[in-house]
Amino acid sequence: MREDQTTGAAVASSGKIVPLPHVDAPHGQDHLTWAYQTHVTAIYQYIYGRVGNRPDAEDLTAQVFVKAINGMRNDVSVPELRSWLYRVAQTTLADHWREYYAEGAGELDDDVTQQPAPRENPEAVQRVDALLATLPESYRRVLELRFLRGYSVRETAQELNLSETNVKVLQFRALNRAGRERGRPS
Amino acid sequence: MNDDPEQLDKHVEDLLQDRRPERTPLPDEDALRARQTAAMLRAAKPGAGLPSKEFLERMQGSIHDWVGERSAQPDPASRPSRRSLLLTGAAGIAAGIAAVLGIQQVDKAAPKTARQLVENGSWKPIKALADLPEATPVAFRSGAIEGFLIRQGQEVKGLSGVCTHMACILNYSKFRDRFECPCHGATFEKDGQPTNYSSPLSPLPSLQVRVEKGQVQVYTV
Repeated sequence: MREDQTTGAAVASSGKIVPLPHVDAPHGQDHLTWAYQTHVTAIYQYIYGRVGNRPDAEDLTAQVFVKAINGMRNDVSVPELRSWLYRVAQTTLADHWREYYAEGAGELDDDVTQQPAPRENPEAVQRVDALLATLPESYRRVLELRFLRGYSVRETAQELNLSETNVKVLQFRALNRAGRERGRPS
Repeated sequence: MNDDPEQLDKHVEDLLQDRRPERTPLPDEDALRARQTAAMLRAAKPGAGLPSKEFLERMQGSIHDWVGERSAQPDPASRPSRRSLLLTGAAGIAAGIAAVLGIQQVDKAAPKTARQLVENGSWKPIKALADLPEATPVAFRSGAIEGFLIRQGQEVKGLSGVCTHMACILNYSKFRDRFECPCHGATFEKDGQPTNYSSPLSPLPSLQVRVEKGQVQVYTV
């Protein structure tokens, strides 16, 4: 459906994007600041898609920008800046997961090593659909109810005609199985 | 300290309530993967994963300060002239500057309008004309450009896909047949004109597009 051409310094240095009339960065900011700010939403979405909660996503996004701004040259082009931000986001996420499980966490999340999708949200939904499709029906059902429809354990138990304890066991098995499926090279 | 259903469900509940899960050490890789998968599933829920307005505003101020602090330090490697050259324009694109360039000519000549969004760029193939549906915008990214291609018969129009409000990436809603900003709700018609926003917004800039031997190309850097 979409093209995601490789971007990089070679491309950026051979051409330029010229400022048009009345091109002032909004709110009287300098352009470097504005160039960083235009990426906040994309980086936030990228991180949210991997940690799944707002407080962590906000903290990690802020960390990425502190590190990126301190580590980056000032004469960077926008494609370079973009790929630099994603690289910093990847290492920041790896550090985050290491707080849960220290050994080898850096290489555990395969998604982190992949080129980021141009638009995070639709890609995330597609990845989830593909993952759910690999699971047995009962596993898929419990994950859909809990995560995509936001059912509580109690509601899920009623819907599936199971005890709440059994719902938690089913959810446990489903997430572990899905986790292993994700780890499998495609 | 084996992982168990209760412990995992506690983590899941935290995600579902948008709380920060407790960072307890995990026994093995499976336990970690289960939580990473839970995060991915949580993020796929409709409506999840957009930064709040408050967070964006906070980041805006912080980034301004961080860049300022950094610029205040001596940096022999920096070349301000090139920096302003590159960032001025490129930031401009990201910000979706108002530049109504008109419907693009589908011809073989290089762009000839006096003021184009991209100069000294090059034509990049995006996809085959035959693969583009009639009148339905298709998203693409090439180099620094995020945009949409809209086919009209044998001609293709290109529009920037960056909201002119705060530079979020727009989505095209097939259902409502318009571009919608996921951040603060701005909407744009398929010709790039803003529709509903409370403060006046600039229209989406057009991009230079041509069709060459059945390939749709966009002029980009």
